[in-house]
Amino acid sequence: MTAWRTMGRSAFATAIVAALAWTHGAHAQDSTKTAPAPDAPAPAAPSPAATSATPVAEKVVLPPPSPLHERASHPLAAVPTDSKPTKTTRMCGVCHSDIRVKFDKGIHKSEEIGCISCHGGNPDAITIAEAHRGSGYRGRPRRADIPALCGSCHSDVARMRPYQLPSDQFALYRTSAHGLALARGTMNAAVCTDCHGVHEIRPADDPLSMVARHNVPTTCGRCHGGNGDPARPATPGSPLADYKAGIHGHALLVGNNNAAPECANCHGSHATAQPGARDVDKVCGQCHGKVRSFFMSSPHRGAVRRGGHSDCAVCHGNHKTTRIAATAFEKTCDSCHKPGTPEGAVAGRIQTMLADASAQIDRARERVSRAEKIPLYVEDYQARLEDARTALMEAAPATHTVDTTAVEPHTRRARSIAAEVSREVDEKLKGRWWRYVGLGLFWFYLILTAAILLRWRRRAIARSTSVR
Amino acid sequence: MADETADQERRGFLKWLTAGFLALWAPAAGIMTASFLKPPEHGPRVGERMIRAGTLSSLAIGESRFVRHGLEPIFVVRLADQQVMAVSAVCTHMQCILHWNRDNSTFLCPCHDGVFDKTGNVLSGPPKKPLRQYSAEIRSDEIVVFT
Amino acid sequence: MSDAPRDTQTPPPDSRSWLERRVNLTEIASLLTVFGLLPAELDTRKPLREALGEALSQPMSYYERWPRLLGLLAFVLFLLLGATGILLAFYYQPTADAAYPSVVAIARDVSFGSLVHQVHAWASILFLFLLAFRVIRFFSIGLYGRGREIIWMVGVLAFVVATFTDLTGRLLPWDARGYWTTIRAREVIDALPLIGPIVTFLVGGKGLDSLILTRFYVLHIGGFPFVLLILFYLHFASIRRVGVPLPLDAAQKPRVGRALRIAGIDMILLVLLMLGVLLTFAIIVPIPFDVQADPFATPPNAHAPWYLLAPHAVLEAVPGLLPRFVRGLLLDGLLAGFLFLPFLDRSPGTGARNRAFLAAGLALLVIWVLLTWQGWFLEVSR
Ligand code: FES
Repeated sequence: MTAWRTMGRSAFATAIVAALAWTHGAHAQDSTKTAPAPDAPAPAAPSPAATSATPVAEKVVLPPPSPLHERASHPLAAVPTDSKPTKTTRMCGVCHSDIRVKFDKGIHKSEEIGCISCHGGNPDAITIAEAHRGSGYRGRPRRADIPALCGSCHSDVARMRPYQLPSDQFALYRTSAHGLALARGTMNAAVCTDCHGVHEIRPADDPLSMVARHNVPTTCGRCHGGNGDPARPATPGSPLADYKAGIHGHALLVGNNNAAPECANCHGSHATAQPGARDVDKVCGQCHGKVRSFFMSSPHRGAVRRGGHSDCAVCHGNHKTTRIAATAFEKTCDSCHKPGTPEGAVAGRIQTMLADASAQIDRARERVSRAEKIPLYVEDYQARLEDARTALMEAAPATHTVDTTAVEPHTRRARSIAAEVSREVDEKLKGRWWRYVGLGLFWFYLILTAAILLRWRRRAIARSTSVR
Repeated sequence: MADETADQERRGFLKWLTAGFLALWAPAAGIMTASFLKPPEHGPRVGERMIRAGTLSSLAIGESRFVRHGLEPIFVVRLADQQVMAVSAVCTHMQCILHWNRDNSTFLCPCHDGVFDKTGNVLSGPPKKPLRQYSAEIRSDEIVVFT
Repeated sequence: MSDAPRDTQTPPPDSRSWLERRVNLTEIASLLTVFGLLPAELDTRKPLREALGEALSQPMSYYERWPRLLGLLAFVLFLLLGATGILLAFYYQPTADAAYPSVVAIARDVSFGSLVHQVHAWASILFLFLLAFRVIRFFSIGLYGRGREIIWMVGVLAFVVATFTDLTGRLLPWDARGYWTTIRAREVIDALPLIGPIVTFLVGGKGLDSLILTRFYVLHIGGFPFVLLILFYLHFASIRRVGVPLPLDAAQKPRVGRALRIAGIDMILLVLLMLGVLLTFAIIVPIPFDVQADPFATPPNAHAPWYLLAPHAVLEAVPGLLPRFVRGLLLDGLLAGFLFLPFLDRSPGTGARNRAFLAAGLALLVIWVLLTWQGWFLEVSR
């Protein structure tokens, strides 16, 4: 298959080069001589697989190809018939048409950063040999060289300034877990191209970009997918699946909530690192500031530190972040505090407070929706129920103090508002008894009327028979 | 004989009673229809009682703002830096809608030339009663009027 | 004492009341007979009491009793719907923005508003069922030939127009259920050749917006009820011309029943009972309120009203079997065939008609019920 493709490709390239040569007249003779025979693959023409695979010599475990890069799998089929070699790919795109198609979608094309910026060579040559010989021809850069290669432009403050882009990525990268690993010689440590794409490098705010917020989990998951996949050994466990199952992943990927964190929000992007156990509270506290301040004031902080646990993750998990339901309190606390202990009793008390309030709110809501269908006037009650729900939501951060007196005011407020609403709606619903009384009265009157009519009827019958 | 008349009388009474009883259907239906047709109280609901009358910073001191609300529009006047006041924009004479006279800070009625000062007292013209006042509050740069 | 009678002959001592000497009350009362509320003729030259007494003591044919009360009950319901509808119109505002709040206000803020609203809703359901049942009865005992063609056609048309009235009424509250029911119903009606374009023309377009709501409103309160009234009139006028149906066996003499007075009391009792049932339903099983219609959110289970479920099933079931247009034509043909049944079935007599037609009709009824069930299955329990 690959052989066929390669052959077909080189034949195609030859044909195009020949066609171009024909149009260029003067070079015609020369180019037909230099062009390789159709059955012999051009020495430097890479096979299509090679564009996403590394030569066997490097012996690294490869990240599986990103789905975003799978677009032009058949190089010939993918080339739009009317597309011409662009200015920046110039002659390179004649043979490397599949790469040209990818490159054309990227941001570098519009900035006129062409092939030779990274690969060197002569883009204006019309023979393959000449093209691959030009000034500073580099071919495929070595993995280890890639960060510095990208950094050669991206660390240049003057060059980045017009784009309002940062220029510290390379410096940050060298301090990151990825960068350090690469420096140690771990060749499968992520380099720029693993996250940003090779030729189809799109800006981060492009939704098709590999580093667009909603694509980040998949991009990181290519190596850190886990699940015991030998091709993805980078991380124990299954962070990607866990993240997707957690509340953050659900919010970002299912709920399309772009405020939800992806991998880089906790681990950093260019300076990726695992937050240390002591720093988890700070990482989470970026968004959950109020929760963090409550947690810091609680006895748990000291205890968790002494035990060497990672603060928030002890109860909420790390990648599979979960919200602890009001009814799951005791169970969660159970892992450290047994129910019999005084600490377990506190957990029980907090759970009861939360569960009571939420049950009370549910009851009130049920009443209100019943009244709404009649309909009764419920707008006020709905607003007050919203108040109650807000109070219950305020109770959630307060539970991190594990102090019942801090939680209680919120739950009490929620409960009392909801109870008041239920009571009032109940009264309104019960106040409709008069309808049934009215109905009874109506039937009473109706039956009496019917009785009178029946009497008249009987009399009329009696009269008519007596006449007869 | 006397028995018969008494009997007849009783029958007449019974008949009258029955007819009266049956006739009650009509007033019952009438009362129901009438109470259906009686317009319900459409007084403002709690939520509608609070009128947001724009920001304070966009209202110059001594200037007024016309707030459209229900059938009874309101003028909000900024008396001082942190002092606003709300008066009804409906003339107490014949319910015409007043105009704000910027030059001498008075409300002028286009119908019969009644004049009120900026706090709603009658200055001249046919109106007898002062304008209705509403309580107004400033809540972080927003003027809120309660009706 | 000076004013001597101007007429040379003093009129005979007049038993008429003050009012009756000025207005012919009998003539007014004869309106009752025009709309079949009183199955007799009033002599308008006589005073009311006398004329009524005469009419009421006429004997009534045995066959004149309960079956014809069906049409009469329907007409009473029509009057009730008219009365409650007029009351509702006092508060209803036919624009997309105001409709829903105004209906909620009727049901919530107006005294007896909920009752009037619910009675109107339940009466419309009962009305349709009565009209449908009447058509089925006419058919099953063959009351459609030899002079009864108009009665039959009017009966069928009355049901169709009543469904249109019902349909236009469903949109008026502008609640989610009504709105999407209308959309789903339009889908069926638009598929019918001839009928679809006419309906689209009448309601003013294919979409649903405020302008079209106003048209629905006018058709609901004015257009269709007026047509119904004419149909009712035609029905009773034709009945008066051709008389009530004879007994099945034409040779058998109609048994003379009791005086009309007694039948009249029976009728009042029946109407009272119907009112009682209606009110009980309206109070004990009120139709729950839905949320305001959101044109951008189709609720699950949006489906056409029950009378369109069978046509819907005809249009949708077994996709690929027949093109939609042909299915629409089929439905049109069915309706036309039904309407002109008296001219198709020329077998003599007013009693049991051509057995083949009877069998076919009853089979059709069963199929119709099954299709309705199928339509329900297609639409609702998806
Ligand atoms: S209405 Fe204002 S002065 Fe008469």
